[in-house]
Amino acid sequence: MKYSIAILSLVAFPALANVQITGSVEAKCVIQTTKAGSYGNPIASKLSTTPADGGVLPIIRYDVSIADAYTANITHPTSFSSSPPLTDTVAWTGSTSVTQTSVSGMSAYEAAKVVVDNTTIFDLTLAGSTWFSTASSAVYGAAKPLPGGTYTAVVQASCIAK
Amino acid sequence: MLSKVITISALVTFSASAHEMTPAYPEVKVSHVKNVVKVEMSLFNSREEIKYYQIDLFDLNWMNIPFSSTYRIIKIGYKEHKSFDVYIRERDMPEAVYLCTTSKVRKTNQSRTLISSRICSRLDGEPA
Repeated sequence: MKYSIAILSLVAFPALANVQITGSVEAKCVIQTTKAGSYGNPIASKLSTTPADGGVLPIIRYDVSIADAYTANITHPTSFSSSPPLTDTVAWTGSTSVTQTSVSGMSAYEAAKVVVDNTTIFDLTLAGSTWFSTASSAVYGAAKPLPGGTYTAVVQASCIAK
Repeated sequence: MLSKVITISALVTFSASAHEMTPAYPEVKVSHVKNVVKVEMSLFNSREEIKYYQIDLFDLNWMNIPFSSTYRIIKIGYKEHKSFDVYIRERDMPEAVYLCTTSKVRKTNQSRTLISSRICSRLDGEPA
């Protein structure tokens, strides 16, 4: 009886050997927040993410699995999402640049970028990863000192299917 | 060799904070409701600081289009996948183009820039 069970189990095992693993590659975009930026306060009236001003540039990474399926639209801030009460206007400037790429051909993204108001649009024509950094600067009206407190602004990073 | 190590390190280090939505070009299916179609989407959150994502539907000019879903704002945990269906009236489908999820950022007590991520799929089909 024991021999029969052993022989049957040996016969049965090969049937389990052919297991298929299937998968598919589809267009997919992943937005990675590599580094949250922070504002430096180089002079009393200014907040800036530029390292020379004591700030930290936010870095966003886009991973796309299929070439030419998405655009990266990155919008730098034009207002604070939270701040102490401000009585004067704030002058905003900003820009977004390619800082690192996983494929050499992606270096062309920087020259081909399109800026519409405060949004920079990159056509992600190659599959792989691209890192972008966004500079943001806010200067309080008529060189007034900014009131003490916490200031927060939002960078909008969008990945839009073409 | 060094560049490979840097690339691998970067992938390991930076893969911890991501927003992902699929498919990019969802299939529009019939629903159980007359004159209403549905699209099935999947969302993945590995942004530890984010717990909520908002669903929006837009036309080609980024004007809002009405839709229905179990969640308008989805609560989703860290490293969690969530599937959701979006129901759209058939009469709105010719205008519906972008189906997006946007992360909802939280107020902080540090002077900083926050990053709101938004991923948009297209309902009008893959580019030719």
